[in-house]
Amino acid sequence: MSKPDETKKERRKINWQSLRSALTLFFGITIFIFVTLQVSHLLEARSRGKKPQEVKVKAEEKSTWSRSEISPLHRIPLMDEFNQKIIPAAPDSPPLSTRYTCAPCHDYERISRGTHFNLKDRPASDRRTEPFVLVEEKSGFQLPISFQNYPGFWSPEKLGLTSWQLVNLFGRNLAGGGLGEPGEKDITPDSRWNVSGKLEINCFGCHNKSYLQDHSEWVKQVMRQNFRWAATAASGLGEVVGMASRLPETWSIIDGPNPDDHEWAVAPQVKYNQNLFDSKNNAVLNLGQPDNNNCLACHTVTARKAASKAEAEMDVHLAAGLRCVDCHRNDLSHEIVRGYEGQELLSSGLKVDEFTCAGCHLGQKPEKGGFGFTGKLGAPRPAHKGIPKVHFERLSCTACHSGLLPQKEPQEVYTARANRLGIFGKAHWTSDYPLIVEPVFVREKDNKIYPERMMWPAFWAEKKGQELIPLKAEEVLKAAPEVFNLKENVSARLSALLPLSSAEFYPALVVADFLFEPNADASLDAKRLEQSPLSGRSGYENFLLVQVRNDEVSSLIPSFDPEEAPAEVEDKIFQILQALKSFSDSREPVFVVGKYYYRVMEGYVEKIEKPGQEAAEPGIFWLSGENFEPLFSDYEIRTLVALGQGPEVLTEEQVQLVLKKLNSQQPERQVVYVASGLVFSLDKNGRLTTFEHPAARPVSWPLAHNVRPAQQALGKNGCTDCHSPSSKVFFGQVRAVSPLKSERGQEKLGADFMDTGHLFQFIFGFTFLGRPYFKLLLAGCVLVMGIIIAAVVLKLASRLAGIDSNSHDKTGEK
Amino acid sequence: MFFGITSVLLIIALNLRLTFGRFLKHLPEPEREISADNFKEYINWIVRWKLSFLRLKTWDRALDYLINWAKKEYPGWAAWVFYGLVLSYAYLALSGFIFAWFVPRGLFGFPLLLHVAAGALYAICLTIILFIKARVYLPDKVAEKASKESSGFYCPFLRKSWPRPYFQAAAFWVFVLAGFLLASSTLGSMLPYFNYPAQIFFFHLHRWSALASVLAACLAIDVMIVE
Repeated sequence: MSKPDETKKERRKINWQSLRSALTLFFGITIFIFVTLQVSHLLEARSRGKKPQEVKVKAEEKSTWSRSEISPLHRIPLMDEFNQKIIPAAPDSPPLSTRYTCAPCHDYERISRGTHFNLKDRPASDRRTEPFVLVEEKSGFQLPISFQNYPGFWSPEKLGLTSWQLVNLFGRNLAGGGLGEPGEKDITPDSRWNVSGKLEINCFGCHNKSYLQDHSEWVKQVMRQNFRWAATAASGLGEVVGMASRLPETWSIIDGPNPDDHEWAVAPQVKYNQNLFDSKNNAVLNLGQPDNNNCLACHTVTARKAASKAEAEMDVHLAAGLRCVDCHRNDLSHEIVRGYEGQELLSSGLKVDEFTCAGCHLGQKPEKGGFGFTGKLGAPRPAHKGIPKVHFERLSCTACHSGLLPQKEPQEVYTARANRLGIFGKAHWTSDYPLIVEPVFVREKDNKIYPERMMWPAFWAEKKGQELIPLKAEEVLKAAPEVFNLKENVSARLSALLPLSSAEFYPALVVADFLFEPNADASLDAKRLEQSPLSGRSGYENFLLVQVRNDEVSSLIPSFDPEEAPAEVEDKIFQILQALKSFSDSREPVFVVGKYYYRVMEGYVEKIEKPGQEAAEPGIFWLSGENFEPLFSDYEIRTLVALGQGPEVLTEEQVQLVLKKLNSQQPERQVVYVASGLVFSLDKNGRLTTFEHPAARPVSWPLAHNVRPAQQALGKNGCTDCHSPSSKVFFGQVRAVSPLKSERGQEKLGADFMDTGHLFQFIFGFTFLGRPYFKLLLAGCVLVMGIIIAAVVLKLASRLAGIDSNSHDKTGEK
Repeated sequence: MFFGITSVLLIIALNLRLTFGRFLKHLPEPEREISADNFKEYINWIVRWKLSFLRLKTWDRALDYLINWAKKEYPGWAAWVFYGLVLSYAYLALSGFIFAWFVPRGLFGFPLLLHVAAGALYAICLTIILFIKARVYLPDKVAEKASKESSGFYCPFLRKSWPRPYFQAAAFWVFVLAGFLLASSTLGSMLPYFNYPAQIFFFHLHRWSALASVLAACLAIDVMIVE
């Protein structure tokens, strides 16, 4: 070999060596990365299974439970807020104080840190729950408020809401304690705690098993600011009269009743029901674990489409005879097991995992290996046949089992706390606002998909830089009362026409396909007419004044010959014209008939010849100069037609008007309206434009109830319950619902909230159309392969056993 | 985790073993031993071989070789079935193992959709190949063929060559059996007859069958395809 060849070979060898080193390094690093990744996955998986190291002080005090399963009859003295025994027969007996009545046996301070009372200091890890919703229906406010720190929830601090305001706004569904018992620093100048007293924990609200326990009474007393009397009245132990809200700020309970006023500013007083006390003045109370009704007073959720109670569905657990507290347990700490996986209890000794869906239905694996027992409370063990394992990793149990069944769009629901359900009285308490829908399937931080309730915030706000700062409803209402009071104004004018209606009839207005009737709240109720003479017409001349009695509708305006007008008709005309004068606004109300019109002059009705054409039909008009303007303006009729029967209260035109007013009042600030997932503002030309903003995004919170029967779980009818090109779960339209009637509202597909991608879900859903054929094909392949493999195995076995025909041939034994 | 590490180790170990055996077989018989020098040479050899795949030409040659082999072994339309099997199998193995090793969530999204589609093609092709080739790998046929071929698969520990037909039959039947289990576990998990524990079982059966299949495929490439 020549020298250059050797050098070349040597160089190549050196190159190879360096290349080898590089490759060794490369493979080393690759293996290292792979092993590191795998180990980190393992550690992550382990840490997910294990609770993080936490510093928590578990109460070690002696249990107060006697080990008996029965709840004792409570024959106990009732104590007032000064820790004095209440003598029910005594005049001016004070209301009971649960702090002093219950405390001798039950640790009030510890209980007050429980889930229902400790709204401010809930653990940060606590799963978000339904917020309180600040609602002002007329101006279109629905603002979610919560102490939980989640995007979209407004904290009371940020809105400047004090404990006093919060209790007044939401006390109807507070269980007392916490916000209701403010510390010194929480007593703000606007508060009247001294008059109202503190809203102590209402132990009776949950534990009183007496038929006299009344949530509506609690609400009534809270609305009257009778905080210290609320528990006494709601428990039925005593009857409370008077209103603290009407008392002067200087009043104190020590002052006692006001001897000078027995009608208006009546100080609250209790009249105890002495039948509920024994001869030693001890109350005889039937207390125990809460019944479902106690819980449902604040936790009911009902579909709006359910027209009667008979149509409402029931949670399968309640239908099976379980009580809410069977799963949602608590010990003395009153830290309630909420039932979701991963809940952290700070001071309760209960094991959360035992009361989750999986805890009862699948059983929990004991910490040291082995298998746990299932069937707690008779829970059946689900087979989940044919459901691939990924579903259990990526979906919560509730995704398939809870809430309303998915439709083309999520359905509107009423919740007790948001829509004031469960309050009974003469007034109709249930409110249409806030508008909440379910189910919307949302992917949460743990990468699982949950069914949730959703609402879109709606509020007027000042835009400062990128921040939106909500305005107070009062300010907005004050700025444009004529816009917000449109229905009230129409209602008032209709009410003024009452003298024209026959006995037992009342005036109403037909516009397009709707009948608008004045309601008890001095506003309007709308009904859709099966047949309307004005169907499809919306001009200002296209309204009809009618009179209504139940379902009977007839014309309101009397038809008569003005030359021979009956005196009684003229008297009625006088009455309505007189009543309408208060709404005249520099115009004059007139009644036109034929070639005449009636007007009120100096306390008398006067018939005057009408200039111009003869009126085809009699009617009521405003005389402005020489013009006869209709009783209801074009704008009013247009708005009524637009709003119709729907839940919306504002039109884009109204928003535009209000924004113009608000911006003109303080030109240096920019006011916007947030609704339907968008922010509405005025552009330079005064037109309404929209833009997106985080504050306009919908807020949602996981739902757990009602749990549907297994037969109604998603997937029961097969994969196509969810996976199909027309899947309601993935391709259901989630439209923003808000107080604003607008075509511009946010609209998304269900898949958007799950981050699964439309295209993928569409194609994936599409594959399920061919899935049966795929299964058949696969089954065919498996069958053929199985037969061949079985034949070969048999052949091999026979050969091994020495009975193979070929081997016989070879040995000649055939 | 266990599957991830086990599968990586087994696949690497088998391939090292096969390539090392192939390397030794090319050495003169006295030099066929497990030694540091041989191992160094082997590393040189394998790296050179792997690096050659950086050139497009090597791929071309390999593809040509495979096509010719397929045409010889599967004449006529059967060659297309073989190509279908190879293509679908390559995607199934790559997508399945890459996601199993590197993505905690496992296979999902469009790769999963393609995996299912490729699975159908794989099942059909495998069934046809089995139908055509089963008789070739029947025990008596294999024994007969093996009696004619005394060497082929070299074992460096025993310093002995074994008849290749046995290994070919083993690779074929393991591949088929694994394919059968893969198809069965897929079918089983889609049928509404099996509960959650069964679903878990199917999942693991699918994974481990896939591993067995890949190992069998590696063996098959060594003892059947590559001369």
